[in-house]
Amino acid sequence: MLNFPVTQVGSWPRSTTLLSALREKRSGRMSDKDFNALADNEIRRCVERQHQAGVDYIVDGELRRDNFYSFITEKVEGTRLMSLAEMLETVEDKAAFEEMLQTLDAPAFSIRNPTCIGKLQRRKSLAVDDLKFLRTLTDKPIKVTLPGPYLLTRAMWVTAYSTDAYGDKPVMADAIVDILREELTELAAENVEFVQFDEPVLTEVVHSGDDKRRTFM
Amino acid sequence: MNRVVAGFEDILRIGLHVCRGNWSKREDVLITGDYQPLVDVFSKMNLQQFVLEYATPRAGELAVVGRALGDREIGLGVCNPRTDEAESVEFIANRLREALQYWSPDKIFLNPDCGFGCFANRCVNEEQVAFEKLKAMVAAAKLVRAEVETA
Repeated sequence: MLNFPVTQVGSWPRSTTLLSALREKRSGRMSDKDFNALADNEIRRCVERQHQAGVDYIVDGELRRDNFYSFITEKVEGTRLMSLAEMLETVEDKAAFEEMLQTLDAPAFSIRNPTCIGKLQRRKSLAVDDLKFLRTLTDKPIKVTLPGPYLLTRAMWVTAYSTDAYGDKPVMADAIVDILREELTELAAENVEFVQFDEPVLTEVVHSGDDKRRTFM
Repeated sequence: MNRVVAGFEDILRIGLHVCRGNWSKREDVLITGDYQPLVDVFSKMNLQQFVLEYATPRAGELAVVGRALGDREIGLGVCNPRTDEAESVEFIANRLREALQYWSPDKIFLNPDCGFGCFANRCVNEEQVAFEKLKAMVAAAKLVRAEVETA
């Protein structure tokens, strides 16, 4: 293998066209089909730029995703994309919530959370379709990014919405582990060259004295 | 994490990316050893690569991770995705040379510190700037690759 392969962490700057398309899709004013056609073109340009630059492991720029973890609401049953305003009404520990936002360096107005509202089940693959599309655009190795288990557990559990389905956070975490393992099975079958899990809140999990989180880890 | 990857360790290259997030506010704490718990957790994880931020120079930091995790791959963050100007090839090459004290050449990947556009409503960086940064990383990789091969 070549020494020092160059790659990216995942996301590519979104054009104003794509940003407005994401908004239109979210509000239901743009069909999935139209959105995907537009996103296909944006991903094509992103891949071309990586080829021009001479990058070794190609990413799709996460251009189809709402953000790097909330996108799973489209793929997983039992979830709902919630605005911060919706969440703040019910969130049990507002200070901890604020802290999480700070940890993620997320502007409060733009973040949307994938809240668990029922039994979690993978409706479709999280990233395999993106990988297949990317294969049509490049012969180079591909890196696929997925939200990590700690981030998902932490973000998806909102007591007011999640308790009915799972009772307690670690039980929901088990379901998340299963979903990520299903995804890895499919990604392995597609011979993906690199899978990266994103864990921006891991520092806090590590420093936390919360036994439930520790057990999950 | 280990439960997620169990059984896949030998068939997939799996990495973990941890953002700086709250670390950045606590630089002095990190350097004086508070960073160690994270390294300990990393070393227990059955993962091939850790994709970490190193574009912001902080003395000693590379050594802490390098000494503990030299047997794994490092996704060395060498570009700040939030600045408007590309890092110089020499800056990136120097980070890479520093990393070579702890990792063998086949274990080092180059990448930015984080994504170029994390959240949907704001572009963290313009496309052209991101492109220039990618080019700088490719040039630095080429430069140090040649040094390693002739050494």
